[in-house]
Amino acid sequence: MSAESISEVMRDPVRPAAASLSEEKRTITVAVAGNPNSGKSTLINAIAGTRLHVGNWPGVTVEKKEALFEYEVKLIKLVDLPGTYSLSPYTQEEIITRDYLVHEMPDVIIDVMDATNLERNLYLTVQLLELDIPVIMALNMYDEAEKKGYTIDSNMMEEMLGVKIVPTIATRKAGLHDLLKAVVKLVDDPSSHHPKKLNYGEDIESAVSAVEKQLKDSYPSLAEKYPLRWLAFKFMEEDEHVQSELKISGDVLLIEDAVRHLKKAHEEDMESIMADARYAQAAGLTREVLKRPELRKTDLTEKIDRIALNRFLGIPLFLAAMWFMFKLTFDVSKPLGDWMNALTFGPFKRWAEALVGLIHAPAWMSSLVTDGVIAGVGSVLVFVPVIFAMMFFITFLEGSGYMARAAFVMDRAMHSIGLHGKSFIPMLLGFGCNVPAIYATRTLENQRDKALTALLIPLMSCGARLPVYVVFIGAFFPAYAGTVLWSLYVMGIALAIVMGLIFKRTLFKGEAPMFIMELPPYRLPSFKSLMIHTWEKGKHFLIKAGTYILAVSILVWFLLNLPWGVESKKDSYLGQVGQVVAPVLKPLGFGSWEAASSLMAGVIAKEIVVGTMGEIYVKKTGEEQSAVKPAFTADLIEIGTSFTTALRNSAENVFSTFGISSLSTKEDEKRSGLKSVLRTTFTPLSAYAFIVFVLLYMPCVVVAIAMRQEFGTWKWFGISFAYQMALAWLMAFVIYQGGTLLGIGG
Amino acid sequence: MGFSDIVWMGLIIAGTLYLLYRSVWKKKGHCAGCDSQSCVLKKYKM
Ligand SMILES: Nc1nc2c(ncn2[C@@H]2O[C@H](COP(=O)(O)OP(=O)(O)OP(=O)(O)O)[C@@H](O)[C@H]2O)c(=O)[nH]1
Ligand SMILES: [Mg+2]
Repeated sequence: MSAESISEVMRDPVRPAAASLSEEKRTITVAVAGNPNSGKSTLINAIAGTRLHVGNWPGVTVEKKEALFEYEVKLIKLVDLPGTYSLSPYTQEEIITRDYLVHEMPDVIIDVMDATNLERNLYLTVQLLELDIPVIMALNMYDEAEKKGYTIDSNMMEEMLGVKIVPTIATRKAGLHDLLKAVVKLVDDPSSHHPKKLNYGEDIESAVSAVEKQLKDSYPSLAEKYPLRWLAFKFMEEDEHVQSELKISGDVLLIEDAVRHLKKAHEEDMESIMADARYAQAAGLTREVLKRPELRKTDLTEKIDRIALNRFLGIPLFLAAMWFMFKLTFDVSKPLGDWMNALTFGPFKRWAEALVGLIHAPAWMSSLVTDGVIAGVGSVLVFVPVIFAMMFFITFLEGSGYMARAAFVMDRAMHSIGLHGKSFIPMLLGFGCNVPAIYATRTLENQRDKALTALLIPLMSCGARLPVYVVFIGAFFPAYAGTVLWSLYVMGIALAIVMGLIFKRTLFKGEAPMFIMELPPYRLPSFKSLMIHTWEKGKHFLIKAGTYILAVSILVWFLLNLPWGVESKKDSYLGQVGQVVAPVLKPLGFGSWEAASSLMAGVIAKEIVVGTMGEIYVKKTGEEQSAVKPAFTADLIEIGTSFTTALRNSAENVFSTFGISSLSTKEDEKRSGLKSVLRTTFTPLSAYAFIVFVLLYMPCVVVAIAMRQEFGTWKWFGISFAYQMALAWLMAFVIYQGGTLLGIGG
Repeated sequence: MGFSDIVWMGLIIAGTLYLLYRSVWKKKGHCAGCDSQSCVLKKYKM
């Protein structure tokens, strides 16, 4: 079969379930299971039009997700499960997937196979078949298997396993109709399904039948709840989860008997005996159905990896790639950010003022709108282009396959802190947002690794901190923007390793076991999927701006204006609290109440540091009335023309990053008000100390909640808060005082 | 400042506090990428 012959390509996602569908119609529940990185989430996105997170490394999906849609007047619920290599209960993903399959008993399992790794994938298939739930196999990544010159005899495989096999290419939506048709057929006519019972060898089979019989006789009710053969295997393997869940481990004479005999014959523990038997099945099947080309050429992935994974070049290359990414992020977004700035504090502000005037709102309310909401939320919103640019590069990195390589090259450094390279993936995800990164620690083997990684994640600079950096970098280091930005991210990683060393000696004694990281082939993400997932990530910041950043901006405005009629902002409630805290920050070079108050408000989310500064430094409405008030249409024209200029500049900047033309960083001095105020209150040195402080000073409230949710206690947040405050103060102190002593940037 | 101003301010502050509570605590900060249990599942229902 060739890729072209994979029936028709599915052009549009199937129709979302319509409300008109009668309620009583039964929903078909289809679990989508398979090895990590085999394309399960991509498949569901292609079928149901969802936007589940996909990425080219194993362990993207860490909890089950559902998508409901209508297909041929049937309601189908697809359940995306975390990828697993087996159904033994060791990692959290395995437990989530297994519990779902065993307890919820979906109508069908779609087993998504990576056709380029047949044997490893079949090992899981063999276990899925033990569950007695109808299985349909999607032979995914069929394009890549063909490219490698593999031929897979899927007819023979169908015959040997007795299950339907459909070749698919999830990224191109090929084969999906066939897959859904097979699902519907199976549900409509269960008798069409004749799975073969795999034979694990005489001794195992006779032992398992004995155990099965024993279970059936002693606990007849179990058969209704669990697949008995599977249960018998689990008892034989002494699976602790099953034992503790069913609490019948005391009654195991016969099981022990059967197992003792087997163990003696094989001279191994039961789990290994079973694993061997399953591997034998997977290997046997693969031998029968897979033909590989005699001559194997080295492919592009191997060529790239020879350099990217080189012992000496690996880490420098990683750092260089990061530098490049930050430089591009900054350069590309700069003109668009300036445009947004001009737009927000020019026309938008004017329109808002006009609108408030129109409804005859009291003076305080119009000040709340302009000096509170627009100054606060607006100051954050102008960083939307930077954040989207950053999320674009992160999405690209995620899709390319480099994430797993970064984990690989960092493996040695991570071992020095008692973790292994795998922990570096959640940390890298933290560059986007620390919250999903905390949840991504689920892919780690044990509680110790999880907790230690979660403690280090807040040191990874997230997108929310970018606005703070960009304002200060724009004001003080425009010529070295990319490098300064990069230094902050690298500092975060370096400090994570230092803190890891300290934690390893104190809270988390112990070594990480060796681990093998699967390295997927490099892939070029499609433009469409890049856009979708960049949007999904960036959207988060827009929602934040419209909800809690807005809320804090309003509260900050009140705190700056209470007690009512206060003359100077310094005497307001916020100013007073800021003055109490400021002396603590004095040795760090930014002991003003303005800085202190902004840092305190930033506890909710770090963008708010910028928003609050915007509100503090905004000139009172009326102070800066422009002489002429351009009309609405003139504004619109101005917005349009300035936008095209901004677009052109940012495109030019892409080339300049590659050294083809010169960087365009022209900006309108008048418009970047906040930056010019900052230049009068900070020095380059204290500015750098300040952004380092913002990088480190504490995880945001949402991360705290995520930590609490993931670990069930506030303990880790408490530790994180305490050490980060100390670290932030110390680092800013060293930078400011050290720099002053050396006479740099004072 | 009149009585109605105070009522308005009270309402705005209460609304803001509620918004803060809802988005930060209940919606767990609308976590990015929707990769946690705290997020609503994507349902294609219309
Ligand atoms: N060439 C090719 N690439 C694919 C295909 N299906 C998925 N991919 C790519 O494979 C990678 C993994 O896809 P995911 O959907 O995240 O895999 P998953 O099985 O959900 O992975 P986990 O959530 O980690 O278990 C992505 O980079 C996809 O673009 C396919 O049929 N052909
Ligand atoms: Mg997935």
